[in-house]
Amino acid sequence: MLLATLLCYVGFSALCLSMNRHSEDLTGRSFSVSRAKALRLLGWAALLASLWVALASQTLGQALVQWSAALMGSAVVLVFVMSYWPRLALSLAGVGVLLCPVFAFLQLLA
Amino acid sequence: MKEGFRQAMAWLHTWAGLTFGWLLFAIFMTGTLSYFKNEITQWTQPEIVPHEISAADGVNRAQQWLGENAPDAKRWFIRLPDERSPELGVSWTPAKGRFEERSLDSLTGVPVQVRQSMGGEFFYRFHFQLQMPYPWGRWLASLAAMVMFVALISGIITHKKIFKEFFTFRPRKGQRTWLDGHNAVAVLVLPFHLMITYSSLVIFMTMIMPLSILTTYGKNTQGVFDDLFPAFKTEQAAADRAPLASIAPMFEVAAEKWPGSRVGLITVNNPGSANASVTMTRHGADHIPHEPGTALVFDGVSAELKNESNMGAASLMLAGGLYGLHMGHFAGPLLRWLYFLAGIGGTAMIGTGLVIWLGKRRLKHAKSGVLPFELRLVEMLNVASMSGLMLAVVSFFWANRLLPVSFTGRSDWEVKTFFCVWGVALLHAFARVFLRDGRSAWREQLTLAALLYCALPILDMATAGGYLLASLKQGNLTLVALDMTALATGIFLAWGALRFRGDGKIVLASKLTPAVQEAR
Amino acid sequence: METLSVSAHASEKRQKRPRSGAISVRGRLAVASRVLAALIGGYLLTALTSICLAQFLPLVRAEAVVLAMTLSFLVYLPAVLWCFACGTAWRAWFGLLLPSAVLAALYASARWLL
Repeated sequence: MLLATLLCYVGFSALCLSMNRHSEDLTGRSFSVSRAKALRLLGWAALLASLWVALASQTLGQALVQWSAALMGSAVVLVFVMSYWPRLALSLAGVGVLLCPVFAFLQLLA
Repeated sequence: MKEGFRQAMAWLHTWAGLTFGWLLFAIFMTGTLSYFKNEITQWTQPEIVPHEISAADGVNRAQQWLGENAPDAKRWFIRLPDERSPELGVSWTPAKGRFEERSLDSLTGVPVQVRQSMGGEFFYRFHFQLQMPYPWGRWLASLAAMVMFVALISGIITHKKIFKEFFTFRPRKGQRTWLDGHNAVAVLVLPFHLMITYSSLVIFMTMIMPLSILTTYGKNTQGVFDDLFPAFKTEQAAADRAPLASIAPMFEVAAEKWPGSRVGLITVNNPGSANASVTMTRHGADHIPHEPGTALVFDGVSAELKNESNMGAASLMLAGGLYGLHMGHFAGPLLRWLYFLAGIGGTAMIGTGLVIWLGKRRLKHAKSGVLPFELRLVEMLNVASMSGLMLAVVSFFWANRLLPVSFTGRSDWEVKTFFCVWGVALLHAFARVFLRDGRSAWREQLTLAALLYCALPILDMATAGGYLLASLKQGNLTLVALDMTALATGIFLAWGALRFRGDGKIVLASKLTPAVQEAR
Repeated sequence: METLSVSAHASEKRQKRPRSGAISVRGRLAVASRVLAALIGGYLLTALTSICLAQFLPLVRAEAVVLAMTLSFLVYLPAVLWCFACGTAWRAWFGLLLPSAVLAALYASARWLL
């Protein structure tokens, strides 16, 4: 579930970055339209991937409940951290992106 | 037309939210506490110590005690201790008289000398019965649930920029921050809010929407429950008596039928008579949907498995699933904390809404400095329903520790303390809001609440320190966790109280600017 | 952010609001009527929906009843929204009583005629 939660956070961060009003707060610059689109795609992909990961690791009911919790929790954390420490929010997303393949690998091994 | 619709929904959201907001705040707050009702009960009855016992030993002791002390009962109920509740609970419906219950010591099988307290059950029952006589409280709570549903959906419709402002929270901007906060706790936790609200309607649906039962079952309304939960059908006791078989061996059959699931409630129907039966259902922690229809029925004399019912139909799983999601019995520690936090979010959603309602209208009277009667009334109710309720909640815990351990009626007195403090808070709010200003009401109540919450761990150590230390030695963190949660709440309330220091004149001016900039 | 002052166009359709900004008695009665429509009419429509669902769902009796009750609240919600979104308080009632009558007729025909 940790991987799924990370993917949620990364996904929401990407979606957030794809929005003009937030990209400036977080990175100090706004992205081009094509880059914003790419971020949006990446964001949705990460969210869907997190759902897939959740479904793969447990029964349907448990997966949906825990995924919803991960979704809501990561969104709240992102918005809260972003509002007070925007650079930290971005760094966390970066760390998340790096950790995702690590956790994916670990999950495949288990 | 679109704009007219949205405006109508905004109007509806505002007024539905206001009229039911105070009640819904109380329902959400006590409901949120209920996710830890077992833990709260552990704190309020620290005399009941967890022991490691097997299910067989537990049920044997319960059966022995019930056989000696309630042999003529119509029904026995046995609840074994589990990781969240150390109590070996027995209860019964006597042949004549009211339902009775006892906590047995799980090691010795005799009733525990424990201070009488409703514990977490008080908040749990309050949140759907509202301390009103049956069935009125439930009806009012159900009405509030429907209004909540309307407020949620009308809020979504009104929130034009729900996607654009999904991640938006702008701190330190006065009214704008409050609205951003309201939107954030609402939208980001929306799946939970929708689930909680709709499921609460489903939970009471046989009471609030019974007509389809009447049209399909006619006068035999009990028929629908007998069809759904055949294992719980009430049977008249047979004339002949026969000794009740030992229940413990039945667990083996249950383990076979339900691999990976413990037994939850054990019901003995007509103990001691020839047609006695023993019904077992699965422990709530082991599955998500609420499934009272999945049960095993054993012959009470021969101990043979008589009947096995399985509640698996999709239509029933929808209702049962919603019920189970609302109750959250299945949640482990992490998920349970998330439930709790989501509930806090819902409570905050309602609270911020009430504050915004008043804040917006107060701006119109900023120049004159005098609030009209209606707005003062709203302010008084805001204070009483929010900080007043927080005071009432903490005083329940204070009463639990301060009242003498063994005097009859102490449980009632804990409850009385809750309502008395709430009542006094209302009077204090009235006096302050109408004779001085709302700020002092908030400041004083939040300060007192902060002090009481922060001092709760100290009170606990002073009055029940022995139990606290014993629990820690055993590795049970429940008591200290409640104390720490109280401390954290106190710190938060202290922060809130600090924001009301001074007379607020300077703050008001800065609140005007964003409002002027806001013209959209 | 939506303003809560009703626009001139909308106010003509809804409450009659004189210059002073106070709501007239007629306006208050209209709101009260909508509230009653939502409460009573909404309940009626929801109940009839649950009755029809229980009657027509191709399920065992107990299951049909449970599913009917579970889903019925999805009808109560738009019923309430309708009461406050529609043009006049009369339309609020009409918009609920008409489908209620249809559902009642549907159920009656299934139960007693067929």
